[in-house]
Amino acid sequence: MKNYNLFSHTPIYLAIFLLLFVWGCERSVSGLEEAPNSDNPDVFLDTFSDGLNYAAFDGSVLEAFQVVEDETYDNSEASMRFEVPDLGDPRGSFAGGAFFTSIPRDLTGYNALTFYAKASESTQIGVLGLGIDLGENKFQASVDSTMLTRSWQKYTVPIPDPSLLESEQGLLFYSSGPINEEGYTFWLDEVKFENLGTIAFDSALILDGEERNFDAQNGQTFTIDGLASRHRLPDGTVGEVNASPYYFNFSSSDESVAQVSEDGVVTVTGEGTAVVTATLRGDSAEGSLTVNSGGEANTPNAAPPAPQQDPADVISLYTNEYDNVTVDTWNTGWEFSTATESFIQVENQDVILYQNLNFVGIEFASETIDASEMTHFRMDIWTPDPTELPNEFKVLLVDFGANDEFNGGDDSEHELTFTSPTLQTGEWISLDIPLSDFTGLQNRANLAQLVLSGDLPNIYLTNVYFYKGDDNGNGGGEPNAEPANSAPAPTEDEANVLSLFSDEYSDLPVDTWRTEWSAATLEEIDLFGNPTKKYTELDFVGIETTGDNLVDASEMEFIHIDLWTPNMDVVRIKLVDFGPDGGFEGGDDSESELVFEDLPKEQWNSLKIPFSDFEGLENRENLAQFILSGLPAGSSTLYIDNVYFSKEGDGGAPATEPVNAAPEPDADEADVISIFSDAYSNVDGTNLNPDWGQATVVTEETIEGNNTLKLAGLNYQGIELGENLDVTDMSTLHIDFWTVNSTELSVFLISPGPVEAPYALTVPTSGWASVEIPLSEFDSVDLSDVFQFKFEGDGDIWIDNIYFEN
Amino acid sequence: MTKKFIYPITVLLYFTIFLNACGTDSNDDSSTGWELTWSDDFEGEKGDLPDPSSWTFDIGTGDNGWGNRELQYYTNRPENVSLDGEGNLVITAIEESFSGSSYTSARIKTEGLFNQAYGRFEARIKTPFGRGVWPAFWMLGSDFREVGWPQTGEIDIMEFRGQEPSRIHGSLHGPGYSAGNAVTSSYSLANGRFDTEFHLFAVEWFEDRIDYYVDDVRYQTIERTDVGGEWVFDKPFFLILNIAVGGTFVGPPSDQTPFPQQMTIDYVNVYSRTE
Repeated sequence: MKNYNLFSHTPIYLAIFLLLFVWGCERSVSGLEEAPNSDNPDVFLDTFSDGLNYAAFDGSVLEAFQVVEDETYDNSEASMRFEVPDLGDPRGSFAGGAFFTSIPRDLTGYNALTFYAKASESTQIGVLGLGIDLGENKFQASVDSTMLTRSWQKYTVPIPDPSLLESEQGLLFYSSGPINEEGYTFWLDEVKFENLGTIAFDSALILDGEERNFDAQNGQTFTIDGLASRHRLPDGTVGEVNASPYYFNFSSSDESVAQVSEDGVVTVTGEGTAVVTATLRGDSAEGSLTVNSGGEANTPNAAPPAPQQDPADVISLYTNEYDNVTVDTWNTGWEFSTATESFIQVENQDVILYQNLNFVGIEFASETIDASEMTHFRMDIWTPDPTELPNEFKVLLVDFGANDEFNGGDDSEHELTFTSPTLQTGEWISLDIPLSDFTGLQNRANLAQLVLSGDLPNIYLTNVYFYKGDDNGNGGGEPNAEPANSAPAPTEDEANVLSLFSDEYSDLPVDTWRTEWSAATLEEIDLFGNPTKKYTELDFVGIETTGDNLVDASEMEFIHIDLWTPNMDVVRIKLVDFGPDGGFEGGDDSESELVFEDLPKEQWNSLKIPFSDFEGLENRENLAQFILSGLPAGSSTLYIDNVYFSKEGDGGAPATEPVNAAPEPDADEADVISIFSDAYSNVDGTNLNPDWGQATVVTEETIEGNNTLKLAGLNYQGIELGENLDVTDMSTLHIDFWTVNSTELSVFLISPGPVEAPYALTVPTSGWASVEIPLSEFDSVDLSDVFQFKFEGDGDIWIDNIYFEN
Repeated sequence: MTKKFIYPITVLLYFTIFLNACGTDSNDDSSTGWELTWSDDFEGEKGDLPDPSSWTFDIGTGDNGWGNRELQYYTNRPENVSLDGEGNLVITAIEESFSGSSYTSARIKTEGLFNQAYGRFEARIKTPFGRGVWPAFWMLGSDFREVGWPQTGEIDIMEFRGQEPSRIHGSLHGPGYSAGNAVTSSYSLANGRFDTEFHLFAVEWFEDRIDYYVDDVRYQTIERTDVGGEWVFDKPFFLILNIAVGGTFVGPPSDQTPFPQQMTIDYVNVYSRTE
């Protein structure tokens, strides 16, 4: 038998054993913790701290920074020297750069970046701070305009919220430019992070601490700026530190209306009101943004009619039809302009959408436009915004004069203002403006700027061009031209319409479309299958609905008419109401006429005119006559179609806010003490939104030109009168109110004590409700000394015409 | 004595010395020599005025801004002095136009209601801050109205300049050593502020000396022989708490000084020596 010698196999066993040992000893890493970041607070004491690098900013003098040994704080070995260039230095326009570390630091245990600094002279350093790591720069924080002297002083940059700086690589950055065109030198030393007990966090702000409003539609955005934290400093003052949005926690009170991202960008998502606020270190920051969203952006669903001029007669800035000249910019971005522009298409037509438009500069100065041969300036605009009076849209043209440059004493300009009825909501409006209307323009050979402004924040703009019409100033074409198409079909729901003449609706009976006393010829024609009325040799024509045909348009809000003319410079529309007696005269008739100048010729103009524009028309329950007239008298040609009355409403859905203003009060000013009304002078100094800790959001809205108070989300709301009132001589308290969703509403009068007494109002209302409350209902209150009002209840309430009456 | 006894006796000796050495800490309770004679914890409802059985008010601007060209008008309105409902008294200096002054504030005192000679007088306070803001916790002699100032004597337990939020001052005024000549010393926090946290301010007043404390640190002792005139601290004194605005000690507020400014007082305790 062979001797099985274990020992001779030992090397093999050993080898196997070793292998197992090695494999078995591979440590599992999953259970290990990550090494914590270094909490080294040093940035620069005598040398760069561990891992520190420097990079100069673009456009700055690359060699501005150097470590030096000759000017140090407290005889330390070295300091950092920065040389800010003079104005015009070819190496760069400023000194600036970031000190960042490749080894992230845990700075949560410190509350400030501190350093000693001095300068070659008394000067200011533009920006000093931390948080620029040349990557995300997420936690950037800085102070502006640090004043340095010629001797070493200690400076502190408090950190807005150090608890966020677990892994920070941006330790210090600076940027400073010449002052009065001259550069200077400054030194920093002993730069480090500290935990100072001599400073303390005080508060924070967004939007510079202000309460701002943002009226918008879905999809619009707003970037929250003005972000800062405030800290109590060792000298008893409070210092402000500019803070990046990531230090803040933003929130929206209603995410279905507006949402806000981590970096402070608010996006409008739906209709309604939302308030965006923020916290820092868990404390509420001062300032807020109230978003009032109209919901789905109202956009045109069709392009406007295409220009029809001969290209040889046109200088085009923005059309699809013609070649466009060079426009330097459609938004010069001037200071205080809030307008944003976007380039979109509507049915393949290029359109510029301006939003948040207060004013916007459009410039074509690099190649100015010579429009001296031109006769007209044309722009097509479309707006979803309310266009009733007193809202305006203004167009300003600027000519740079012979020197072809801004200023030089030869510039001239002129601004034109457009209002309703030229302005219409939700319809393309062609502004066809004779250049002779720009009377302030001394020359037109060097037109350089176009400025649009006014009360319409949302404007769709296209077909911007100059053209040369014929000698009569007509827009080209012959006076006998016929429409190339029938009037566009109306889109309102039949349920909201009373029609006199339209293919789309059933028409009410009309006595005649040409009374005997008219000066006009009427022809009933067929335009491409669509019955249309054609008037020629027109001076004036009467259209009547009398007797049984009297039209009660009291429920209606608009009169609509489509007009096409080749030659009328002026078109007038007059409405006559026969009053309650239903007959001509009798002392109760009323009428009102609107005048339209320079309606674009040779195209269908769809006019949708609010009844409120007809200011002299006192009633509209007995509309009897419609009189069309214009110039040139006796030779005008006018096609009309789609004559009807309409009201808003999407076929049954109830209004969520009042469309009409509250009824005009009829009390005599002498018998009234008014708190809130456009009809009377109101008690001076009244505070309509005192902070009583309420949830209610109070705004003032203009409805049909009438200032109206809106209480949204009411729980309770106070009004603090500008002075204590003695109303013992008054008999009633009048209030107009409107609400569809309130289930409870009371109004209180309050005298000092406080002593308050409620009066319950019936809600919801059907349209505007008016009450005259006898003051005896408030008899527990001292009526000789009323100093506050209070509303209590729920829902959204519009209120107007709050006054005491004798 | 045999070796056997020396050891335990030595140990006993050590213990006795040790215990005695430990027994001189005078900051604690009556077991170490103090008994509470008067206190106010400021418990009560938010908005209540301080207890009228303990405190009364100085109103108005006194004589030439209370002798120091101070700018405030003192009132007894809750917005200037009231409890906060959380166990504190809050005195608030407000920038507002009132009766010809540009600021209002409050000054409360125990004059006529409580006074005491000798003892430990302490208050736990969080100060306001800002240039021109001058809070104080102090005492005047109860014969103030008869003999006038500085004859009546003044013990300033804590005075503070808002532009130096890390430092307070303790002083003694008397005839020959008043105002600019007062005996005074200051105490600064190495790395802290008096407006962000509560601190305990106290004096311990004995027959021939007064010791000044911030928290447990005695930063000043003024002995009978240290003053440059008559020692007038052998009679009862009453307590005062106030915030002044502007005046000779602190200068006017700047436009950087935030208003309103508040002093929060957790409690005031007065003790007398038990032996």
